[in-house]
Amino acid sequence: MDPLIYILDIIVFIGIFAIVALSLNLEYGFTGLGNFGKVAFFLIGAYTYALLIEAGIHFIPCIIIAALVAGLIGSLISLPALRLREDYLAIVTLAFGEIIRIVVKAEHGLAYGVWGMTVPPAIFWQGASFRMTLVAHIGLVFVCLLVCFIFVQLVTNSPYGRVIRAIREDEVAAATFGKSRLKYKAQVFAMGSAIAGIGGALFAQYIGFIEPYMFMPMLTFTVWIMVLVGGPANNWGTLVGATLVQLFSRGAKIMKDYLVVPFDPTDLQYILLGLLIIFILLYRPGGIFKERPVKTKALERVSQWKERS
Amino acid sequence: MISAVALTLIYGLSRFPNFAHAEFMALGAYMGYFVAEQLGLGFPSSFVAAFLASGALGVISYKAVFQPLANRGATIIHLMIASIALGFVVRHSIGAIWNWAPLSFSLAWSSFDVGMVRVSGIWLWLILAALVLGGIMHLVLVRTKIGKAIRATSGNPELALSSGININRVTLTTWFIGAALAGIAGLFRAAGTRLSPLLGWDILLPTFAVTILGGIGSFYGAIGAAFIIGLVENVGVVILARLGLSTEYRMAIAFVILILTLLIRPQGLTRLFRGT
Repeated sequence: MDPLIYILDIIVFIGIFAIVALSLNLEYGFTGLGNFGKVAFFLIGAYTYALLIEAGIHFIPCIIIAALVAGLIGSLISLPALRLREDYLAIVTLAFGEIIRIVVKAEHGLAYGVWGMTVPPAIFWQGASFRMTLVAHIGLVFVCLLVCFIFVQLVTNSPYGRVIRAIREDEVAAATFGKSRLKYKAQVFAMGSAIAGIGGALFAQYIGFIEPYMFMPMLTFTVWIMVLVGGPANNWGTLVGATLVQLFSRGAKIMKDYLVVPFDPTDLQYILLGLLIIFILLYRPGGIFKERPVKTKALERVSQWKERS
Repeated sequence: MISAVALTLIYGLSRFPNFAHAEFMALGAYMGYFVAEQLGLGFPSSFVAAFLASGALGVISYKAVFQPLANRGATIIHLMIASIALGFVVRHSIGAIWNWAPLSFSLAWSSFDVGMVRVSGIWLWLILAALVLGGIMHLVLVRTKIGKAIRATSGNPELALSSGININRVTLTTWFIGAALAGIAGLFRAAGTRLSPLLGWDILLPTFAVTILGGIGSFYGAIGAAFIIGLVENVGVVILARLGLSTEYRMAIAFVILILTLLIRPQGLTRLFRGT
């Protein structure tokens, strides 16, 4: 295989997973919501996109609608689920992800069920080589990533971001200041789901074929690892985490051909990944990049004042 | 059912959902397989192997991972992630040792007909073992000192500590028993169907459903809930077929029960069993 295509492929995947990791970072890192059903919204985004593209709609509105549908379903789910304790929330979202997958698998009339569906290529022009379409995909994915990144940065560095951090730290205290924790959590959940939906749409677009078995709970955990490695509540850290985890799994796939071990190197890859997470949780629970204080006018003035004195 | 009882013990005590539970089951099944098939010691000895191996894994994982984490003030989410990570390590270690291809016990189960229903020997054994284990667990929890200590610690750790209970030892014992029971459950699952490293993972969520419907930490609730969910799943399949829906929703039934329980009655059935 052409090494250049391989590298470009990795870049596309880093972009897609960075988007999903950002959405989880918004939910878990900033608001403290343990969403273990990330894959459900990824799936919803992917299938919505695929069905709309098949209906012959231009791909840009398709991505937007996919995000809206995922966000809408996210907010519907969140209303009952967010009242729960955090471990219950995790189990409910995990179960929801599995239910969605089973429904898509069982309803053959909806999206071809187990057989999966082919997504018609949307980015295509006369005389385009494979490499050119790949570069076009990178462009699309990274434009979306940039939009999502700026969006999450703005949200989390605004007064709104300070409220959701306050809810993460102490729900009761935040409620005392008149901030409805349910309202904020539901909004964050909807935003996070919508962003994950964008990631799913781009995934469907790039892969060109989706089936229910692509959306196993494993995907959710991969995204969790990205956020934990990079540093929860730090968007730059999340980007780095997504890149590192993606490179690690790809690197392990390449190493497979060179490494001589008596068993399957894929197992080794997961064993190392598991150990890595345990070590991070034990010795560096803040991830590679620690959370930064919010940039505000008041904080700026305090630091200036500190420098002067 | 055994699996859910085991899970409920650990969940009640440690207050976080242990996703590595699935791997306790898988390890039990594989150790049983190793002893029974590869060493040729027969099926009964595989019980002992499954019990000891999974129990040891439970103790090791608590000592090496969960206790240090809890001492560092990790949140529930951190503990859950750690248990998932531990699950990776164990699952893929099993995969590396025994390969991913599904294995099966070479035991031939005699089956016989009761009326119109064909009953396989394994199911009778399963029911018998579940009853016996349930009885033993009941006696242990109610009659013995360690059983009382386990219930006290899971109810209120501080109070248990001040009453002179060695919480640390109780916690370790609970992890051992919980994991060991999971191993037995895994062994039965494997004997009834087949062996694969994903064996535990496949039934982890239904197990959670049983645990939560029964009320976390409630032994009797878990037993009652196991019957309810088993019954509802099987009746549900018939209803689904009548309604013209796909029987693939069978799995979804347990999940829906799980979600509904959490939404409507997060304490589960515990109240109903309070008298005991």
